[in-house]
Amino acid sequence: MNIVVAIKHIPSIADDLPVKGNNVDFDSVDFVLNEWDEHSIEQAVLIKEAVGGTVTVVGVDLIGELDNALHLALAKGADKVVKITADDPAADSHQQAKWLAEAIKGMGADMVFAGVQASNDIDGQIGPMIAAYLDMPYIGGTSAIEVSGSTATVSKEFPGGVGMKYAVTLPFVAGVQSAPKPPRYAPVSKVRQMAQTATVEKVAPSGEASSGLAFKKMAPPVVTGHAEMIEGSPKEVAAKIVELLKSRGLA
Amino acid sequence: MLTPIEKILFILLALVSAGFTIHGFKTIIDTIRKGRPAPELKNIPGSLVKAAITVLFQRTIFKARKALSAVHLGLFFGLITYAFVNLFDVMEGLIPNFDLTYSGKHIAPPAWTVPLINAYNLISDVMSVFLLIAITVFLVRRFIVKDKALTYRENVLLNPKVKAGGQARDSLIVGVFVIMHVTAHVLSQAFRLTEGADPFMPFASFLNSLFGASEVGVHVAWWVSLGWVMFIIPYLSRSKHTHFFMAPVNLGLAKQNPRGQLDPAIPLKVIDGRKYDPGAKVITDLAWKRILDAYACVQCNRCQDVCPANFYGRPLSPSALEVNKRYLLKEATFGSHPDLLQAPLTETVISPEAVWSCTTCYACVRVCPVGNEPMADIVDIRRRMLIDGFEIDSGVQTALQSLATNGNWMGKGKRLRGRWAKEMEFPVKNASEEPVEYLWFVGDTASFDERVIPNTKMVARIFHQAGLDFGILYQNESNAGNDVRRVGEEGLFEQLVEQNMAAFGKAQFQRIVTTDPHSFNTLKNEYPQFGGKFEVKHYTVTLLKLFEEGKLTIKNKLSHYKVTFHDPCYLGRYNGGFTAPRKLLELLGVEFHEMPRNCENSFCCGAGGGQIWMGKVAPGERPAENRIKEALSTFQSHPSDKKQLFIVTCPKDMIMYSDAVKTTGNEGKIEVRDIIQLVAEAVGVEEVSQIVG
Ligand code: SF4
Ligand code: SF4
Repeated sequence: MNIVVAIKHIPSIADDLPVKGNNVDFDSVDFVLNEWDEHSIEQAVLIKEAVGGTVTVVGVDLIGELDNALHLALAKGADKVVKITADDPAADSHQQAKWLAEAIKGMGADMVFAGVQASNDIDGQIGPMIAAYLDMPYIGGTSAIEVSGSTATVSKEFPGGVGMKYAVTLPFVAGVQSAPKPPRYAPVSKVRQMAQTATVEKVAPSGEASSGLAFKKMAPPVVTGHAEMIEGSPKEVAAKIVELLKSRGLA
Repeated sequence: MLTPIEKILFILLALVSAGFTIHGFKTIIDTIRKGRPAPELKNIPGSLVKAAITVLFQRTIFKARKALSAVHLGLFFGLITYAFVNLFDVMEGLIPNFDLTYSGKHIAPPAWTVPLINAYNLISDVMSVFLLIAITVFLVRRFIVKDKALTYRENVLLNPKVKAGGQARDSLIVGVFVIMHVTAHVLSQAFRLTEGADPFMPFASFLNSLFGASEVGVHVAWWVSLGWVMFIIPYLSRSKHTHFFMAPVNLGLAKQNPRGQLDPAIPLKVIDGRKYDPGAKVITDLAWKRILDAYACVQCNRCQDVCPANFYGRPLSPSALEVNKRYLLKEATFGSHPDLLQAPLTETVISPEAVWSCTTCYACVRVCPVGNEPMADIVDIRRRMLIDGFEIDSGVQTALQSLATNGNWMGKGKRLRGRWAKEMEFPVKNASEEPVEYLWFVGDTASFDERVIPNTKMVARIFHQAGLDFGILYQNESNAGNDVRRVGEEGLFEQLVEQNMAAFGKAQFQRIVTTDPHSFNTLKNEYPQFGGKFEVKHYTVTLLKLFEEGKLTIKNKLSHYKVTFHDPCYLGRYNGGFTAPRKLLELLGVEFHEMPRNCENSFCCGAGGGQIWMGKVAPGERPAENRIKEALSTFQSHPSDKKQLFIVTCPKDMIMYSDAVKTTGNEGKIEVRDIIQLVAEAVGVEEVSQIVG
């Protein structure tokens, strides 16, 4: 089984997001692995553990710091890692999808996983676009994927506690919502060992694409109101709530 | 006294007994040698002598259960006496006419030995009575009163043989042995008194008055007394009472480095080029001393008594861990299951849930009378579980991931670490940019937690007021790694140490001060192993010094408060920081009352060793809640209408205990305050209210 996982490096929101002009100030922000990609790596490794095969993780190196994420992937069980040396922190998801698809093309993938979305743009386009470029079917929002022979059973969860299982013939592209198990923890000693011993394959970006969207303005959200904490015993709090509701004409 | 045939029989029996005994102890020593190298010990003869003195006065057992310990002391001296008694009994048996009754007059001893013989007769006679009483107390405790302290919680993993009462059987055998052995000895003495009472043998004389003298009786009683000994000595090497021999050895070889310094995950000393994985999966992955622990264990459960996790109903019992190790070793070496040496510890000696319940409070190690370190095993097991990809608690995982990327466990960006300082009404120096005398290592909780930041700011204000030259590292500080290491993430710990050491290297300072006992512990005790050469102070010590030097002066005495104080594990038990906080409280003029569990015996708040990161919270009364109740009942015995305060000197405690006051519904009755809040009130520094917007 040859599984390729396409990952995305995104600005961290652990700090206040710095803004410069009409985009993020990429020079003063840390980049981290997209949260959903952690799930698609986990999903790929779980399948490998179940039926054998190899897991290749590939991502666009936007600021020259993707290695950390790739070493982490190796420590979690990936076999091979590839970075597309783009050095363009502002590359949008359409552009990244094109570069990724070009890099994945020759890999002979049975399955390609991508996180169903990323928190920096939330447009969920990378998976479907890779599928389009590779001319493979796409299934998004998966919560579990199991493979047997040339078919995969793909589970999806819908609101209201409804689940659905699909039989999908390989090859295909999946947008992973979550792995069936929480992504495993990679001990730092393993990650560091990978950093010392593993080789990261480099690929030049090839092809062009654009979402056609342009940023008009980027600014921190304006705080319009704030929560008011009501203090006191449960009785006092209840009395104050009633009073408030009355004063606003709601009771 | 013995007939020639009896003598031959006895010598044969003694040889067989010696054979079994040697085999027993050789097996034990070989098994201990299967363990990994442990940190080097210095001056072993010296430590052994010290341990011998400790054992002689039974010092370590008096840390808990005072009354029973006194009985044990008697038992101990009784058994020591009996070592001589048996020696002389053997001599009486083998050497014709050797007889010490009536001041030894039958052997016409040199005059100077007569008082010695009399003393021996008297001591052994009295000790016999005492032994009988002491052993009866212990048997009554185990079998009639059924002391609950000798049992385990239902949810604790136990070796099937322990569950089936293996320990009780051992105790019964040894108990019956002592009773029969001692009774037989005294009877043999009584039967020997052909000329009526011997004033130096009151008890034997009393028995003689009942049963008279008897040649046959002497022989029978002698054989019962010494025959038993020949059986029991080899038996001891296979029973829980190996502690007679192994406990003193273990004490002599006990941990020499500071309490707050964990042994490394991989032994530093490599033997025969062997490669080791970090931590422990099977019993032989443990250091040899941890295997010795199992043989030294008295199975007294004192460690379980003080374990906060056990208190909280978690499936953890440090004593069960040692007992299970011991039974596993017994079945693997004396029994027919050598494969058990390769069985995962998490299936045979401690459940994974128990492994993750330990707060690393050190109470078990501190209280153990024989110098065992159950906590060290737990950390080693965690280390391997992490490497082997065992699924860990989601909260712990999130914390560790954030620590790896952000250097703090709260998922906050590095640049936010110094934000509180930037909000101060005076500039707080950046120690990475300008030299300072005191480098304040702030720690995660005090830097980021909204509930604690007001106290952090108050510390800064007091330092500022006292003219202390201090600065912080802002974004260059990373979590010190104390709890990371104790959760078993050795690689991450090393990464954090490297980051901090790099930051320290760039800064100029004379010493480090911190409010966080956890950071304090690792900076003080573990960083030196990574090249850290600095003095580390807890802020309570620094504050006290500022008062003593007159740089802080008390304007208002705080006699309107009635307070108690909680010793944080990593300040108190680990590092002996008991006096500074108490002296401060005395200076502040509060009415101070000590809780029953204080200083060395303080009860953990339940947050340490990564517990504060746990996503899942188990039901049941939490240690912190129990502690608040302890404080309230302490106050109850000193009624007055003063405001009642629970004083803490640890940022984590502020959170744990404020929560516990709420969850126990005691708001209004008791308030949790950091000592800095009292200092501020006393020296007249006021909170600067922030405009939040
Ligand atoms: S260190 Fe504390 S919590 Fe851990 S086993 Fe020992 S007593 Fe229990
Ligand atoms: S480890 Fe120590 S305290 Fe615990 S049961 Fe054994 S001897 Fe007693």
